[in-house]
Amino acid sequence: MITVALIPAYNEETRIADAIHDARRFVDLVVVVDDCSKDQTAERARSAGAIVLRHVINRGQGAALQTATEYALTVLKADIVVHFDADGQMDGSEIPSLIDPIVREEADVVLGSRFLGKQTNMPMTRLVANRLGRLFTSVFSGIHLTDTHNGFRALSRHAAQEITITLNRMAHASQILDLIKVKKLRYIERPVTIRYSQETLAKSPSSLRAFGIVKDILKDKFLTHV
Amino acid sequence: MMFQGILIAFALFAVTRTLKQYRKQKVSLHWFLLWNSLWITVIGVALWPRSADIIAKFVGVERGADLAVYLAVVILAYLVFRLFVRQEQTEKEITKLVRKIAIEEVEK
Repeated sequence: MITVALIPAYNEETRIADAIHDARRFVDLVVVVDDCSKDQTAERARSAGAIVLRHVINRGQGAALQTATEYALTVLKADIVVHFDADGQMDGSEIPSLIDPIVREEADVVLGSRFLGKQTNMPMTRLVANRLGRLFTSVFSGIHLTDTHNGFRALSRHAAQEITITLNRMAHASQILDLIKVKKLRYIERPVTIRYSQETLAKSPSSLRAFGIVKDILKDKFLTHV
Repeated sequence: MMFQGILIAFALFAVTRTLKQYRKQKVSLHWFLLWNSLWITVIGVALWPRSADIIAKFVGVERGADLAVYLAVVILAYLVFRLFVRQEQTEKEITKLVRKIAIEEVEK
């Protein structure tokens, strides 16, 4: 079984190497998609032992993840892919517990959840935003989760083939949930720890940017399918 | 009179522009005809303002000028929608291209 960690990265030269080392202990290969970074992200990732793909134009996290997925499936013949972050918010040692349900063929998709037992230092505003996200997801995707926009996931080869991300920016997280429902994939949640630091909070989507995500999803649902 | 003059001048300008674009094959025949018939209608209405009133009465709108404004809003809304869909399509195509390049480059 080939397990591949997929890491979309944009201007992450300071943290990418640690994230790769962290993930590599628990997967066979690490694929980094450098989304047209302006810094040394690609070089750092390559020297940390990852396979690096480069977007010549910045296309957003969703697009980068899809590029990594296609490469892992077609070229590396991956059996399991793990979505991992470049900024060190995730803990690589949790990868085995995420891929375990897939190995045992109990699920096609395993979603990390910050609210299943493990402690996090999530700021209050994010907690509220996440609750709203849960409600939004239940209404629009018809899928009930304890945590909706957690980027830590594991997908079986079959699930990764079925789920094609077309939303370029951050709304891809909702699109993945949508497709799980539409393609009738078996999913399960597993507790994960997400570490918030000042640095990562400044970069990852703020609670306000959730509105932008909602806009992208609505646009996709109501306009682009005409 | 002044307003009519400006309107006609602008419409003529639009017609010649479209013609030029069509000759360069930048717009399709379909769009060329549609676009020009719109501007020719504008010229017609500017020359004979009463004609707009007659059409307006026929479709149940009080004044010709009102009908023109309603039509303009509808046409603009439709064009914006078309542009929006096309823009979204272009974005997706760019992503596909960027992805193809990324995968091919690493394989080398």
